[in-house]
Amino acid sequence: MSTPKRIIHTLAIPVLVAVVLELLCLTQGQNIITNAKSFDNFVVYTAIVMITTMALSINLNSGRFDFSLGSMAALSSVIGAQITYSLMAGQKGSSFVMLIITLIVGVVLGLISGGIYVILRLPPIITSLGVTLIYEGILYTLTSGKYVMKTVQNNSMSAFVSTWVYAFIIITVVLIFMIVVFEKTTFGYDYLALKSGQKVAINTGIKEVKNALICYGICGGLMGIVGFLNAARNTTINGGQLNFGSIAIMFTAFLPMFIGGYIGGYCNEKVGYLLAAVCMSLLNSTFAVFSNQVTASTQSIINAVLLVVFLIYLNNNNLIKRLFRP
Amino acid sequence: MSKGNKLKNSQMLIAILPIVALIVLFIVFCTVVQMNEYRLDMYLKIVFNEAVVLAVVATGAIFIYTLGTFDISLGASTLFAATLGVTVYNKTESLVLMILVLFLAGIVCSLFNSILASIFNIPAFVTTVAMMSVLSAIASQIITTDGGALGGISIPSSVVEPYTGVGFKILLLGLYFGICYFIFQHTKTGRRMKYIGGNPLCAGLTGIKANKYTIIAFVMAGIGVGLGAFLTLTYTPSVTTQTASSIGMNIFIAIVFGGMPISGGPRSKIYAALVGGFSYMLLNDILEILIDSSAAYGITQVISAVFFLAVVYVTSMNYRSQMLPR
Repeated sequence: MSTPKRIIHTLAIPVLVAVVLELLCLTQGQNIITNAKSFDNFVVYTAIVMITTMALSINLNSGRFDFSLGSMAALSSVIGAQITYSLMAGQKGSSFVMLIITLIVGVVLGLISGGIYVILRLPPIITSLGVTLIYEGILYTLTSGKYVMKTVQNNSMSAFVSTWVYAFIIITVVLIFMIVVFEKTTFGYDYLALKSGQKVAINTGIKEVKNALICYGICGGLMGIVGFLNAARNTTINGGQLNFGSIAIMFTAFLPMFIGGYIGGYCNEKVGYLLAAVCMSLLNSTFAVFSNQVTASTQSIINAVLLVVFLIYLNNNNLIKRLFRP
Repeated sequence: MSKGNKLKNSQMLIAILPIVALIVLFIVFCTVVQMNEYRLDMYLKIVFNEAVVLAVVATGAIFIYTLGTFDISLGASTLFAATLGVTVYNKTESLVLMILVLFLAGIVCSLFNSILASIFNIPAFVTTVAMMSVLSAIASQIITTDGGALGGISIPSSVVEPYTGVGFKILLLGLYFGICYFIFQHTKTGRRMKYIGGNPLCAGLTGIKANKYTIIAFVMAGIGVGLGAFLTLTYTPSVTTQTASSIGMNIFIAIVFGGMPISGGPRSKIYAALVGGFSYMLLNDILEILIDSSAAYGITQVISAVFFLAVVYVTSMNYRSQMLPR
């Protein structure tokens, strides 16, 4: 496929989504992004969706279903917030310290999750169920099941999400990191080999356990960042997420993952996830414009219907093309 | 003793381990309740009422899991069916119509999932994720509209009074389990489902139509959902947005706890849900009685999860592979 065609295919969905949603907003006499504040929200939400989608895709694309992403985000942010508060008491710069600590805690939690998987050698779907319950239980014990507010409500945290700049930097750094690590390193080549042919890859001498552990570590780190961004954006962390209450975050990443995978067919896969996250963020901003008419329940239904419709297209596009061919 | 005999013995030991675990947990539960000088009959009733709903829904779900796929929308389907049932009763005051709606809602939800999966070729786990969002959102909308944000919707307790007895529930459970057992163990349908789950390619080459059995499996699960919704209403005749919220994920735990591999296939066991469902509820209740503090729920969940992983690790010892499982 020629480069101009690739560019057109890559941008088709985001542009189409932007145009349709903008037209919808215009019917209300508004725009998708109405002011600087809504642009800040737009970029922060894009960062959250993009990073969650990347974290989900790392293991899911390798056939490893991981339910523990949400619990990792919540637990790492609570631990990060408590350590940061004990060190800095919400003073200037505490948001950056919390980001670093949350990221490190996320990596550790990811490595523990991966460690349980490689030691027990149980299907990842089972170990992730156990890990989710363990992390949610620890989260509940640390917070007594209450919302964490004191440690995350300070000027430093508010300042972090009151500008699009920091979220933009995070998007850029994560995107470059993911492209370099998964496409330009030995680890990345091994990951791709294991993804497409596990047995053959192992027979060629690739260390599967090491590769899996790094994958889980990166996943944890990414979810740590998501946990931090969510804490800053919501100014609170829900500590009472028992009985798989934390897995909802994973489901929000399904639609962008499939859209990103589709766009990734015409450009870099990770860039595809970014563009898909932009689409989801545009949709989220549109929901904000229609907040009086569209309830949270309706938003869930719209997201789910979009997911199903997109997958019906994705899995049957040859058939659909044949139907419309003269 | 020959190597073959040793393997056979260890396999037999592992096969009966979930049942032994259930018996041990039952004895421990009775001991703990009596040591605390609580009323044993009352506590047994509570455990039974909690576990019977999980066991019924999970028994139906075994058919889906046997095919090598899974459905995480069953909890949401139970909530949806119960919501519609209560709404219909409040409009018509007809118990027969309510029961009819409970089963119809369960079956239709399941059928819809199976149609999306088998006709539109969408991976079943994704369709069930979407369905989970849609069903929870619709149910929440109905509950908050009809019952207010904090409350729920309910039917008069006198309506379900005749069906609250443990004897009646055991009869229902036995009847449903008997039918499922017969289909699963003694019919072509059950055998073919195990075949599809074990080796879909071979099953397809021998002329078995996977789509047909996917639909049958989802219908069986739908009947379980309807029955589960009815049993939920007989326990508490009111429905809130939290009703049956954890069932969808607890099914995973119940099935694995009962000694069935999550990958389905020929090693699937129809009794796994029954054994696992009761074991898991007994374990949770034992821990809740033993750990009496504000963080009890969190610690309980951590210990349950560790116990869950340990049991699954032991019961799957014979099926370890050199490669990491996916």
